[in-house]
Amino acid sequence: MTDSTTASGTFDVTLDVNGIAYPVHIEQDRNLLSVIRGEVGLTGTKEGCDDCECGACMVLLDGRPVNSCSYLAVQAQGRAITTIEGVMTGDDLHPLQQALLDEGGVQCGFCTPGMIMSAMALLADNPSPSEEQVRIGLSGNLCRCTGYTRIVAAVQRAAAVPHA
Amino acid sequence: MTATTTAITTSPPRFVRADGPDKVTGSGRYTADLSLTGVLAAKFRYANIGHARIVRLDVTAARAMPGVFAVLTADDVPDVRFGPFVQDRTLFARDVVRFEGEIVAAVAAVNAVVAQRAVDAIVVEYEPLPVINDIEAALSVESALVHPDWQSYGAADALVRDRNDASFASITKGDVGAGMAAADHIIESRYVADGCHAVPIEPRAVVAQWEGNKVTIWTTTQVPFDARAGVCETLQLPTNRVRIIVPHLGGGFGGKCGFHYEAHIAALARVAKRPVRLVFTRREEFIAPDRRRESIVFNIETGVLDDGTITARRAWLAMDNGAYTADAAFFSQLAAMHTAGPYRIPNVQVEAHLVYTNHQPSGSVRAPTAPQACWALESHTDEVAAAVGIDPVEFRRRNAVDTGAVGPSGQTYGEIGLQQCIDLAAGGAGYGQPLPDDEAIGVAIGWWPSFSVPSGAYIKIDGDGAGQIITGAQECGTGSVMTLRDLAADELGMKPEDFELVYQDTAVAPYDMGATGSQTLLNNGRAVIAAAGQVAEQLKKLAADHLEAAEADIVLADGHAYVAGTPATTVSLVELAGIAAGGQLLIGHGSSTPAEAPPLAGSSCVGDLGMAAFVAPQFSCHAVRVKLDRDTGVARVLHVSAAHDSGIIINPIGAHGQVEGAVMMGIGQALSEGTTYDDQARQRNAALLEYKLQTCADAPPILVQFVEIFTPDAGPRGAKGLAEAPNIATAAAISNALAKLIGRPVRQLPMTAERVWNTIQGDAS
Amino acid sequence: MSFVIATTIAEAVAAMASGARPIAGGTDLVVGARHGKAALPQHLVAIDRIEALLVVHDTADGVTIGSGVSHSVLESHPLLASAYSGLADASALVGSPSTRNLGTIGGNIMNASPAMDTGAPLLVLGAQVELQSMRGSRRVPLSELWTGPGRTSAAPDELCVMVHIPTPLVRSGSAYLRLEYRRAMEIAVVGAAACVVLDEDGFVVSASVALTAVAPTIIMVDGLHSLAGANVPEAAVRVGVLAAGQATPISDVRASAQYRRHTVGVMARRAVEAAARRAAGDIVAIPLNRAIGIGAAS
Repeated sequence: MTDSTTASGTFDVTLDVNGIAYPVHIEQDRNLLSVIRGEVGLTGTKEGCDDCECGACMVLLDGRPVNSCSYLAVQAQGRAITTIEGVMTGDDLHPLQQALLDEGGVQCGFCTPGMIMSAMALLADNPSPSEEQVRIGLSGNLCRCTGYTRIVAAVQRAAAVPHA
Repeated sequence: MTATTTAITTSPPRFVRADGPDKVTGSGRYTADLSLTGVLAAKFRYANIGHARIVRLDVTAARAMPGVFAVLTADDVPDVRFGPFVQDRTLFARDVVRFEGEIVAAVAAVNAVVAQRAVDAIVVEYEPLPVINDIEAALSVESALVHPDWQSYGAADALVRDRNDASFASITKGDVGAGMAAADHIIESRYVADGCHAVPIEPRAVVAQWEGNKVTIWTTTQVPFDARAGVCETLQLPTNRVRIIVPHLGGGFGGKCGFHYEAHIAALARVAKRPVRLVFTRREEFIAPDRRRESIVFNIETGVLDDGTITARRAWLAMDNGAYTADAAFFSQLAAMHTAGPYRIPNVQVEAHLVYTNHQPSGSVRAPTAPQACWALESHTDEVAAAVGIDPVEFRRRNAVDTGAVGPSGQTYGEIGLQQCIDLAAGGAGYGQPLPDDEAIGVAIGWWPSFSVPSGAYIKIDGDGAGQIITGAQECGTGSVMTLRDLAADELGMKPEDFELVYQDTAVAPYDMGATGSQTLLNNGRAVIAAAGQVAEQLKKLAADHLEAAEADIVLADGHAYVAGTPATTVSLVELAGIAAGGQLLIGHGSSTPAEAPPLAGSSCVGDLGMAAFVAPQFSCHAVRVKLDRDTGVARVLHVSAAHDSGIIINPIGAHGQVEGAVMMGIGQALSEGTTYDDQARQRNAALLEYKLQTCADAPPILVQFVEIFTPDAGPRGAKGLAEAPNIATAAAISNALAKLIGRPVRQLPMTAERVWNTIQGDAS
Repeated sequence: MSFVIATTIAEAVAAMASGARPIAGGTDLVVGARHGKAALPQHLVAIDRIEALLVVHDTADGVTIGSGVSHSVLESHPLLASAYSGLADASALVGSPSTRNLGTIGGNIMNASPAMDTGAPLLVLGAQVELQSMRGSRRVPLSELWTGPGRTSAAPDELCVMVHIPTPLVRSGSAYLRLEYRRAMEIAVVGAAACVVLDEDGFVVSASVALTAVAPTIIMVDGLHSLAGANVPEAAVRVGVLAAGQATPISDVRASAQYRRHTVGVMARRAVEAAARRAAGDIVAIPLNRAIGIGAAS
């Protein structure tokens, strides 16, 4: 059991973001998104609605997709948080990133990081999804620019790329 | 343009956006990602009431709170009324509030929590005024006025205004009475479209910082120069002391056109003596900006002969202007054109009103007025076709405009591809094939002007051969700015990757109208080609000296200059750039020359803002297969076939992306996106759960086909605009599919499941 | 102010005895707090790391599901998909993949929204919840748990630890269907779950039907005993009429009362038809909404 009690309403918590431990001092009601963008200083994760309705804030928590806008940061301690900044291997783009570029699946780019995180979770569960499974897997990420066609194609292209 | 004959005309099949790596890695910075030392958080106090007189406004307690650095009201900024067509608004409400999202006061504080507490501590007392919530009622002479002082406001000369009517326009051609009298059938229809929203996924954000008497504003605008003009006008500053920088922009769709909150934040920062940052919530994004797609009421009447020939069209429409006039003043004439439609009609009489209400102001959202007008007109057109027993596609083939035809405002068209679009779209949808009895294909046609306006760019090539395109153009996601590299590279025999783009900064680049009116590639593309042409001339001159050849014989290709006919006599452009660095620098500048408006014959226009003559008109036809659950009214789009004439396509991947995205937006407008108001004129669904965008799971396959016709006096290489046109005909085509399945049209947009079900019930009774 | 991460049920109920409120995925709690529905509680105990709450057990008299089991586990669990299909139908429709990943069956039940998707299938399947506190544990049938929108008969110190569902009868099947305006990211406009038992000749032995989002709580449709002996199409039609008649929906931004009343009848009829197909041994894919097409269209 981890028991944190505080009179001031703030907690000292260590968050593991992309394999790096970040000690942060935060209020109980702070959502994970604001801590990632603020204290941790990674702005690739976006805020589009603060309401679990757009998916721009998607991160992975122990490999599973989470709307970080509606998840308490204090609850993420001890879990592995992956953001868009943790997706590349060294200087190499992840196959999903490359496929989005090649298929023209990026326009304004604001939904893109969240879309990539959802797609990563999907492909981890199901390495060769059908088109319908891709569409359901990405259904929590709104995109206003692309009509989704090229994003779905990119996920299917990435799924076909063998990688470690 | 001479460029069209000298450019390499094959576009590369693969197009990787220059900004793509920033966007897929999360390293690209958007406005809300910026931070400055000492930055404060801004929050607004909104009216939260539809129409009321302010009887008390007291900010004393808010100003006294610890951590609060500035609290501003109308008394703290210059007393300037502004507006692009009618100067009817102020930065902060003065005496009266006219819609729920009107700003009464602004706060800058150490953080957003303290700022919100200060906002809540502002005391405002209201005396309610009559709420004007209905467009048609507002036009009656008995209606209360949204702006009792409307006559005293400054306004564009061409505007025709009267009380709550902020802009009246009419288009008249021939004798509509005689045309109706000659008809075998007269079909009358009424349609009502609700307002809806642009909904870029990135909410607005603004950061302002003063240094001395100069201010830099980072903002989420689609139109940086327009935003600069707004700041200069309202805060009374010269343009050279206001710098607008747009970081990556997370979508716009027109919603981020115009001048919004840059002046409020700059004013806060000046008083607070600290940088200030505003980031909108999604709810604010819904209720506050003066950029909502307008609700429109349509009454349309068409006279037709038994053989399907249209003899006359009469239409009356009233649009919701909202509480203040943004750029919507030109919508009256534009909507009138779209309600007349791309048809050969000898006798036309269309009247359009832009009506003040206590709603959020309307403004340009992707092809303003056109999707709604196309929905109404094309639904009506299927009613007309049914009345004479002609298949809707055949009816359009007979009546739609074609090359050399005269349109409803008296414009004679050059070579256009509308008829080919109809054939391609219908063919691509399998129109005419047997379908299950709960499926149908609806077809609709649309059109849209190209906007030919001034626009500028510079190009420089430094001593190492690396190029920069410094452009006033704005990238909102479409890829238009990204495509500029290809144009410059083709002109100079270089690779797109040889260029970096410097854009979205009013202090470094020449003017451009912004990411609005599908105009970026059309106009700035020409400017970039012109600038590259100047650099090409310089390179050729250098190469001629270096290779001891005639300048006219120098060819630029593959990163080299060579003498025509003797490719071995060559010098690399990098070497030439090095030579230039020691002498005359490689710098080019270019600007686009606006095309002349096409002439109109035989028509007269009241309230003429230049929208009746379409420069380089774009045409489209969408054929959409829809499945209907008759028990619930829920409809689903199974397939979309879209065919477009947008001239020559320069960037195929980008062009497909524009059509696919716009079609999805159109499906949302058709089925699920519409703003509803309560009886106090407050939005009832200002959240993404209740204002439903289509998801990835809803998206159907979209077949995209282009009719590529070289269009003179338009964009580079004979291109026309594209970003707005594909948003126009989708909802209309869905309507026509539904009408086939139900037996009558759904007369309200969006055609929600409940409205569809109600229409089915009406049919049964 | 406190935040406890519990790893055992004992730790969790001890924290609740001293006033802490449980949080699992937080999908309702955190969003609700932001919307001003209810402030985030001062004292929280995170229960998402209690292994004992993450189990799905096939028992002699049915299935026991830990309250911390997520919708994504429920939607893909082979036992639930085959024998408790209505629950799998519902779990697969909740929110988005991330909501299903974080959201739990216990959270869905205890949040007591009349629009919750898992409520109606759990009701027709005869589910009971096991509530535990320092004072002991008790089982409560779901029909006695919900007392109003957002309200339950559980005491503030009681933690929902398990959901027990009895073994379905032979030749029975269940299904859940909801009216949705888009295929994902939806909340039920209305919904209906049915559990149908057939005799060897395919006639109805018994049916139970529950309705979503047409009353202050999920409600059971009354008067279905008369369906015994009816053929399935006739039973489905009669259920549809009864459902529409017993619904007491409100009008709001999502739909009018009249439209809800009509469509809940349609959903109930189709749920009975699908449950009967499953009872007869047909494979009907999960979730039923996507198996039978648009907006739950047949």
